[in-house]
Amino acid sequence: MNNAQRRLITAGYAGLPFGEFSKCEAGDVGVLGVPSEVDGGPRSGTSLAPDALRRMSGQLETILPANGRDLGNLDLSGDWSGVLMQLVTQMVDSGVKPVVLGGASDVASAVLRALPDLLVVAAMPRARGDLIERAENTVWVGLNGGQPAEEWDQISQRAMDWRTARQLDEGHADFSGMPERAVLWIDISVIDLGHAAGAVGLNPGGMKPETLVSVIGAMSCNWQAIAITGLAPARDTRGISELAAIETLNAALRHG
Amino acid sequence: MGDAAQIQFDTVPSFLGVPVGDLEDLVPGQVAIAGYFCDNLDRPAAGQRYLARQLRYASRLGKAPAGTIDLGDVNVFPLEPDKHFSAVIAQCGAVLETGARIVLVGGDSSGLKALGSAAQLITGENVSVISISERIASNISDDQPIVLSVDLQKLAGKWMSHPRRLTGLSPATMIAKIHTTPGSVIAAAVFGLAPALDNRGSMETRAALAILQAVTERLEKGAP
Repeated sequence: MNNAQRRLITAGYAGLPFGEFSKCEAGDVGVLGVPSEVDGGPRSGTSLAPDALRRMSGQLETILPANGRDLGNLDLSGDWSGVLMQLVTQMVDSGVKPVVLGGASDVASAVLRALPDLLVVAAMPRARGDLIERAENTVWVGLNGGQPAEEWDQISQRAMDWRTARQLDEGHADFSGMPERAVLWIDISVIDLGHAAGAVGLNPGGMKPETLVSVIGAMSCNWQAIAITGLAPARDTRGISELAAIETLNAALRHG
Repeated sequence: MGDAAQIQFDTVPSFLGVPVGDLEDLVPGQVAIAGYFCDNLDRPAAGQRYLARQLRYASRLGKAPAGTIDLGDVNVFPLEPDKHFSAVIAQCGAVLETGARIVLVGGDSSGLKALGSAAQLITGENVSVISISERIASNISDDQPIVLSVDLQKLAGKWMSHPRRLTGLSPATMIAKIHTTPGSVIAAAVFGLAPALDNRGSMETRAALAILQAVTERLEKGAP
């Protein structure tokens, strides 16, 4: 984060002090903003998400259930995804939990490439090919019915665990085979725009924000890394989408 | 000038469109609504003091029990807490002394505290302050005097223009709790909401008005 940005935002995410990764201790969280923008499409604005989350968590006086540092925003010039992968690897190796605030989905893809052997819990409306092809099965939260047939086939063949938003709303949130350690990827598009308008993806019939919080909060995984993507805060003037992201993150850190 | 224009421009805005009155107008059992313009003393958050004004402007006629009056705002001294509390306790006490029941609208939770003290002082009994958003003890009898606490911060985020949390109560749930809370309600405070003073605040304002109406109905009945 450059000096001008630091002057604009005096406290880090949820009141964490800004600092370098070297100041983090084992067991801490390291919050890193990666303000990448979606490539195209009718809805954009993900680059505003990290700073919007910092601002909102400050207004709400959110208290993170963990100590740590806010590492600022990653400089997106050059090979930023390589730098992000390296940073995530270093943090996990040092026992620091990376909490990566995207940005677009490419942010989470880089985080997952840095941790290739871990299972992923993915809260997103559409299954992604790169997740299906990982060695470990992915647990899908809030998938909608709009998946291509071949992706459904792969998910079925590999017996991956998945729940639709409707199933979760009806209380069917009992995921079997949750490992002790996993990576959590929350794409805010998993939430129905009718409930929270600040997502880059359209997902009619998607999850309610409070369902997302309770489902993720009920998972007792030890999250090795958490990435939040797909949040376009300027599209949600009431801030419900940011609130959903902040509460989900807190629930994950509290129970995970 | 048509009726609508007359209502809009020719009347003093009041809570639920009730007549504006004074302490001398009160009779036992009557419900008095008063505004509380102070939001810096207990659980402070700027903007909560505007709730009373917002609800007056958004009110329509004919929503309150007959006989209910708007007493105006209680006098407050936000920069002098000791003087403030004694003044608010005295004013609320003066209303309760007439045998009327009072709803304090707006501001922070300091109004509720003063109201509780006033109720205690006037009745000479141990008056419980009961929050509708908390689990209610089952040992309260229907003739035990209580002060009802209606904290609008407990509304779920989707009802608010500036939500601070996702989960919470719906207005319908709050209204149901207002009607079913045991005890004889002699006073109530509706507080904790800093309403957006534009169109974005219309939903929370309508919710707060419906809740205020339920509170006045409950005060008129006393027991559930």
